[in-house]
Amino acid sequence: MFRHTPLRYATLAVLAAGMFAAAMTAEYFGLEILTEIAILAILVLALDMVAGFGGMVSLCHGALMGVGAYAYAVLAAKAGLAPPVAMAAAIAISGACSWVIGAICARSHGIYFIMATLAFGQMAYSYAFDSAALGGDDGVSGIPRLDLSAIGIDLNDGQSFALFCLLALAAAYGAAVIILRSGLGRSLTGIMHNEQRMRAVGLVTWRVKADVFGLSGMIAGLAGVLAAQHIMFVSPGLLAWTVSGEALVVVILGGLGTLVGPLVGAVLFVLLKHEISNVTPYWHLVVGVILVAVVMSRANGVFGWIEARVARWQAPRVISSRKEQVKNA
Amino acid sequence: MLETRNLDKSFGAIHVTRDVSLKLERGERRVILGPNGAGKTTLFNQLVGELRPDTGSIHLAGEDVTALPVATRARRGLSRSYQKNTLFDGLTVAENLALAASVATGNAMNMWTDSLAKPEIRDIVDDVANQVSLIPYIHAKVSEVSYGVRRQLEVGVALATRPLVLLMDEPTSGVGPEMAKGFHDLLNNLPRDLTLLIIEHDMDLAFDVADTITVLNYGEVVFDGLPEQARGSQLLKEIYLGSWEDA
Repeated sequence: MFRHTPLRYATLAVLAAGMFAAAMTAEYFGLEILTEIAILAILVLALDMVAGFGGMVSLCHGALMGVGAYAYAVLAAKAGLAPPVAMAAAIAISGACSWVIGAICARSHGIYFIMATLAFGQMAYSYAFDSAALGGDDGVSGIPRLDLSAIGIDLNDGQSFALFCLLALAAAYGAAVIILRSGLGRSLTGIMHNEQRMRAVGLVTWRVKADVFGLSGMIAGLAGVLAAQHIMFVSPGLLAWTVSGEALVVVILGGLGTLVGPLVGAVLFVLLKHEISNVTPYWHLVVGVILVAVVMSRANGVFGWIEARVARWQAPRVISSRKEQVKNA
Repeated sequence: MLETRNLDKSFGAIHVTRDVSLKLERGERRVILGPNGAGKTTLFNQLVGELRPDTGSIHLAGEDVTALPVATRARRGLSRSYQKNTLFDGLTVAENLALAASVATGNAMNMWTDSLAKPEIRDIVDDVANQVSLIPYIHAKVSEVSYGVRRQLEVGVALATRPLVLLMDEPTSGVGPEMAKGFHDLLNNLPRDLTLLIIEHDMDLAFDVADTITVLNYGEVVFDGLPEQARGSQLLKEIYLGSWEDA
């Protein structure tokens, strides 16, 4: 079950402070990286909800982000809807698509679930690639950003947009925590631990999986809407399975099923990508080696490793404190 | 409360349930006996919906539930514990009970409020933990408690669904004599209006708890009657009770 620990609160505080400080001090390139981190972090939060707390390893979350991005692009740039309405509609469309995928795939497990979600992702990619209405290979351009000029904020300014994305990330994190702590989220965790028993106590398990998958899809859709506004252009590449694969790498790198770990993973991944690509174009190789090292270490990602070290450090103190309590009693 | 009519089930050429008809009244405590392979667990699996009978029907509180899925039957009051522990190993004892209680109270699909914080769920968790003597382990992870405690929790999770009928598949399976005695008290202290159907090999427990006894052999009901009649039955001695009587 999801729970915050002092270490998790501390990590969140450090991340929030670091990101806010970066947003206030960084130049153009730094703000672009920060925005990229925030959008990726929202996507991996969505993926961790289903993979880390429901055992549903999805290879279509990139496509769900793409659905959000395309839906926003078409509604705002082509249909002329007001950006706030287009944003809400795009998130809802992404959530609805996700619910349907979740409901269909909920009865499969393990490798079959992964393959089924991959198939849905590839269908979305192929459709976007071939659809004239979606601009085919050329995608959709001229996507407007949200207009907050009424409250004196210009989102066309890089700093304001980065802060806006950080705010969206905070909201997505809050939503994920509420969902995972709710009856629905706890039921999902129960299903991951023992689906047969959850059914035996009266739970319609496919429905729980579909509902959480749908909510996760809404968060992925939010990432897509922000990605579309960020680069003001969408193309089928956004829906490619490699985007989903990359998100999965980030979740594993950070720490599956911790919610905080994937945020750490997103920061590390984007920073590594940019730093290493300054030195060599083969940055994927280096990230690959790091991922293999993390997986082979049997730690639950970088954050999981830190949590394990802290727990080991705390263990003798907890035992001696209990002994002291018993002695006093 | 629970009735089966002419239940039949085969796996290929193997006939595992033959024309089984049972009728349990509200509050009745029935123990099912039978040698290994007699079809006891297969009968349970059909009762809860994990297996579909080839022919025959199952009625819960007067309603035909034969076509209903497992989860629906459970929500209507048919709960079970398993012969092999089927728990949520990574979670605490309290969380295990709370998961079942959240379904029983209609909170399992709620996406806004923390189900563990709900007073009605806490009440069920405390109540069941007390009933099955789990209070000392309530915050321990399942993976950290002994096998015997897990057997108690196995029954506790089933009880936390607030069932009308509780099916228990060998609740004392694998526990020592001391803990088995504890199960006598546990079962005797359950509410009297709860209908119990228990598969059990522990004869002391069977005769201590049972109002009625059913014996299955090769998937067929070969005895259905009172414990005293079971003790004197020559047929039972031959197929099952011989070793116990002699001992």
